Amino acid sequence: MADGSNALIDVRNVSRHYVRNVDEVHALDDVSLEVPAACFVALMGPSGSGKSTLLNLISGIDRPSEGEVIVAGQPLSTLDEDELATWRARHVGLIFQFFNLIPVLSARENVALPLLLTDLDKAERRRRAETALRVVGLEERFDHFPRTLSGGEQQRVAIARAIVTDPDLIVADEPTGDLDARNAEAILDLLRALKNEFGKTIVMVTHDSRALRYVDEAHHLDKGVLLTGEEAERAAAALLAAAGAHPMPPARSDGSS
Amino acid sequence: MRLPFSYSWRNVRARPLRSALTASVIALVVLACTLLLGLITSMRRTFTSTGHPLNLVVLRKGSDNDGSSMLPVESYQAIRFLDGIARNGDDQPLVSPEVVVQPFFRTREGGRENVLVRGVEPVALEVHDQVRVTEGRMFRPSSGEAIVGRGVTGRYQGAELGGAIEFGRGKWKVVGLFDAEGTSFESEVWVDVRELANDAKRPLPFSGFRVRTANVAERERIERRIDDDPRWALDAEPEIDYYAELASTGTTLYVIVVAVAVLAGIGASFGAANTMYAAVQTRTAEIGTLRALGFPRGAILWAFQAEAVVLALIGFAIGAVASVAAAWILSNALGGFAVGAATFTTSVVVLEVDARSLAAALFLAIAIGIAAGLGPAWRAARLRPIEALRKA
Repeated sequence: MADGSNALIDVRNVSRHYVRNVDEVHALDDVSLEVPAACFVALMGPSGSGKSTLLNLISGIDRPSEGEVIVAGQPLSTLDEDELATWRARHVGLIFQFFNLIPVLSARENVALPLLLTDLDKAERRRRAETALRVVGLEERFDHFPRTLSGGEQQRVAIARAIVTDPDLIVADEPTGDLDARNAEAILDLLRALKNEFGKTIVMVTHDSRALRYVDEAHHLDKGVLLTGEEAERAAAALLAAAGAHPMPPARSDGSS
Repeated sequence: MRLPFSYSWRNVRARPLRSALTASVIALVVLACTLLLGLITSMRRTFTSTGHPLNLVVLRKGSDNDGSSMLPVESYQAIRFLDGIARNGDDQPLVSPEVVVQPFFRTREGGRENVLVRGVEPVALEVHDQVRVTEGRMFRPSSGEAIVGRGVTGRYQGAELGGAIEFGRGKWKVVGLFDAEGTSFESEVWVDVRELANDAKRPLPFSGFRVRTANVAERERIERRIDDDPRWALDAEPEIDYYAELASTGTTLYVIVVAVAVLAGIGASFGAANTMYAAVQTRTAEIGTLRALGFPRGAILWAFQAEAVVLALIGFAIGAVASVAAAWILSNALGGFAVGAATFTTSVVVLEVDARSLAAALFLAIAIGIAAGLGPAWRAARLRPIEALRKA
């Protein structure tokens, strides 16, 4: 890995400020974070804590005001807007809270969409899209359009779309936020399987305490600051207390569950 | 790195009502454009095909049409025996003395229109050899008889075989119908030249002559000869040029039609642009998603531009079909399209939407689509993914 770091993701002293009306908002303040390869990480915290902002910086959708984000050895600040788009297409799979499928495209077409940015021919794009849909258990739904699928199924299509290009990194923004409990656990299961079986690195923003049972690491943010030590443990405990009794994973576990 | 065409096409279909309304506005512009251009083309064709390349129109100097010309009988004799004039089987020179009046006729619907009534001798059928009596027979001189062109038949009261038409001082019995290969003669009524001159109480019987020359060289020679003869103050002109001038009304119309088409097109493109802006607005999160997935700005620009052009092409298709249908109905079911010519008479033109008019309308439609798509597509392409995604 570049700079002697063995982390897939290296977030260095990153801040993100923007101006809303006349006030300067500090969405992130001097955050540093390393995520090793093949690790399933949760970013947690209350609304406005900056967790989504951090996720957007890691996936190259947004740029930091200060600091540097390096993913798989690539410093993102050196890429211009279109280069960054190309980089995302190759290296990042995106999963959103509201699935963000294209309504006029079928499940297979939605999944094949990122492959349009590759040199693969049509038959190969189709084959890979179908393989990805089988991985998420939707082999019966190739030709269905998003409006004819349930929320859980739509999120599976979105996950198939995120993995179809075989990216190093999958980022998920509240992937269970719009799903019922049963579907939420199924999605978390699927994400963990992607890490375990395909060695994907997954960074997930969530405030769903159930997620703690599935992830290798959980990082807590509050008011734009990454919590560490006792503060982090207190935040995790509070989260669990609010959700009811669950075994509490440490801030860094070995990932087995 | 483009989004598939089906993406643009299916988005047009995904909002059927809005797309249909937008396309309909473009279709109306296409309809108006093709019908007006088709009308001008049909008019020009009708007039320009009327002239025969070997014929000369001889009028009094200073007159630019039959209606305002008057010639003495003596000039007829002088011209008849010029060298180089074609002759028929009986060795008679093909010179047709003619008189033209433009009385009002009553249409079947009760309106009034100027119709060109041409007084001729039987030789006229040889000078104007497009004219053929298809039903009934040629009129007999001095017996109050008339033959009527196909465009006139059925349009005016009494203008049918066995009917009687009223103009001037009396009634004229229709004894024949004629065909003239789509030329403007089909919009005329023909009667005996001397009878018509008497009826109109003209001091001099003829308005002009039509002369069939033996060949083009003779046509040019005779034209100069007549122009240069100081005795009769006559002006000779090739018949094709004479009718081309009458058709020049079409040129003015053409400019007006182009101006109207451009203005209507601008209006339609505002409508389509509005639809496309709304599409960008409602699909902001989708655009953000596509950008986040790695589609470059150009791909978004193309997809929305294509969507606008698809809308325009649908509009063109609807408008083109409607205009061909409308032209057919106007020409066949309603018996032609009445057009006021430069001579104030009514010509019945068979309206036809030709390929060139359709091509012009297609060009206009594509221009509307591109103009309508530019702004919205540009806006869509410039959306920053991070901000666009927040609209989810």
